[in-house]
Amino acid sequence: MCQEEMEGGGGGGGSGGEQRDQETLESVRSALFKTSISLDEKRFRKIAGYDFNQGLDLLGLLGSFSSTGFQASNLGDAIEVVNEMIDWRLSHEAPTEDCGEEERNTAYRESVEVLVTTAGGIEEDIIKCLAPTYKGDFSLPGAHLRSNGLNRIGNLLVPNDNYCKFEDWIMPILDQMLLEQTTENVVWTPSKVIARLGKEINDENSYLYWAYKNGVSVYCPALTDGSLGDMLYCHSVRHPGLHIDIVQDIRAMNGEAVHVGLRKTGIIILGGGLPKHHICNANMFRNGADYAVYINTAQEFDGSDSGAQPDEAISWGKIRGSAKTIKVHCDATLAFPLLVAATFARKFHKIANIEP
Amino acid sequence: MSDEEHHFESKADAGASKTFPQQAGTIRKNGYIVIKGRACKVVEVSTSKTGKHGHAKCHFVAIDIFNAKKLEDIVPSSHNCDVPHVNRTDYQLIDISEDGFISLLTDNGSTKDDLRLPTDETLLAQIKDGFAEGKDLVVTVMSAMGEEQICALKDVGPK
Repeated sequence: MCQEEMEGGGGGGGSGGEQRDQETLESVRSALFKTSISLDEKRFRKIAGYDFNQGLDLLGLLGSFSSTGFQASNLGDAIEVVNEMIDWRLSHEAPTEDCGEEERNTAYRESVEVLVTTAGGIEEDIIKCLAPTYKGDFSLPGAHLRSNGLNRIGNLLVPNDNYCKFEDWIMPILDQMLLEQTTENVVWTPSKVIARLGKEINDENSYLYWAYKNGVSVYCPALTDGSLGDMLYCHSVRHPGLHIDIVQDIRAMNGEAVHVGLRKTGIIILGGGLPKHHICNANMFRNGADYAVYINTAQEFDGSDSGAQPDEAISWGKIRGSAKTIKVHCDATLAFPLLVAATFARKFHKIANIEP
Repeated sequence: MSDEEHHFESKADAGASKTFPQQAGTIRKNGYIVIKGRACKVVEVSTSKTGKHGHAKCHFVAIDIFNAKKLEDIVPSSHNCDVPHVNRTDYQLIDISEDGFISLLTDNGSTKDDLRLPTDETLLAQIKDGFAEGKDLVVTVMSAMGEEQICALKDVGPK
């Protein structure tokens, strides 16, 4: 609103009317232009987006997120939290004399120690090594896709044939596992099954292969809730007897938190559902995680655990009251690669900090 | 290597084999199928199309033809299943021995004495009573997968 216009509008009536108009003007002005406190720039970052005149600089762009606003800022905060997690590990966990070779290796000490995922998170990784997933569209009609043997996951398409290949690949492995259970008394748990699958796929494109190689535990309590479950079902009809012990895995999972001791725990959770809760719950056994980053699109208004903010987890003791937490409201396919670029990948490629 | 294979084949039974292969997708209700080495009669078939579970599959529910146990199997529909040869032969009942063996008259006049009385109670009662009354009985013997059992009974005596 322009000051000149307001003053011009007050011109019309007699001197009494002019006085009233001035008073109205003053009260409106004092309401509209209420004096603001000055913001301490150490606490309140000034907003400024990335300046593309600087060129196309990935880390510069990622560094600018903190001051871009909205979810970019949340992602910027998440990047800070994850870098703090990694830095804490490297500074506070100096290798002791008696620690193993792998502990000494900085790459190992920067890496993730525990993964929790869904059955889909396991099988799709394996299947992608056997046959590809294709880009489709959210709007492709279901009945038409079904008649062509194409399964839709969002805007991705997975041909039925991929699952046939998965079946052909996994059945002999399940036979072998059953044999080992009966002859060598192996007690299978979801994490052991997953490690075995990672070993068997033997393909550098698979994260399960690397998890197996680097001894990173991968937990999946609902291992049956996917194509893996279908395979286990069909396998058990022909060759019954394979047992998969979830009790032993919950011992191991919660044990990961319990045996942390004086170290700290940091959690990075993509999406919601079972993995989100399972990870938070385990941390309850050490009175809460010290760092938490959530990246998901779920909302809390329906009371779901998926949509619950970190503060709700604090009420349960799953995250410490003193923890550094942030939720990025974003699809993980966008946010996670950017997060990794600014944290783990940057450290791995030994590039200095992106903060100005 | 081919010589060895040939040699192996010639060692097989000279007579008819116990089973023959048939594609799982073609086996229907009331047909026969071998599940876990047992000859069974199919009472239910359901198919699930190719999908997340892999190849299209046939889910069979079948009853063991000898001991009436329910057995299940899931087979990819393009795979071959073993189907048993099920034969039925009629024999005249000659005698029932004290330890439960039956003496039957074969076509060529000799006797077949290796069969036991059936376990099914109704059939067992019919045979015992009928024999005790001196009736002329013809029994139907079902054979499959090297196993035999009396499955039916006929009274062929004068009315």
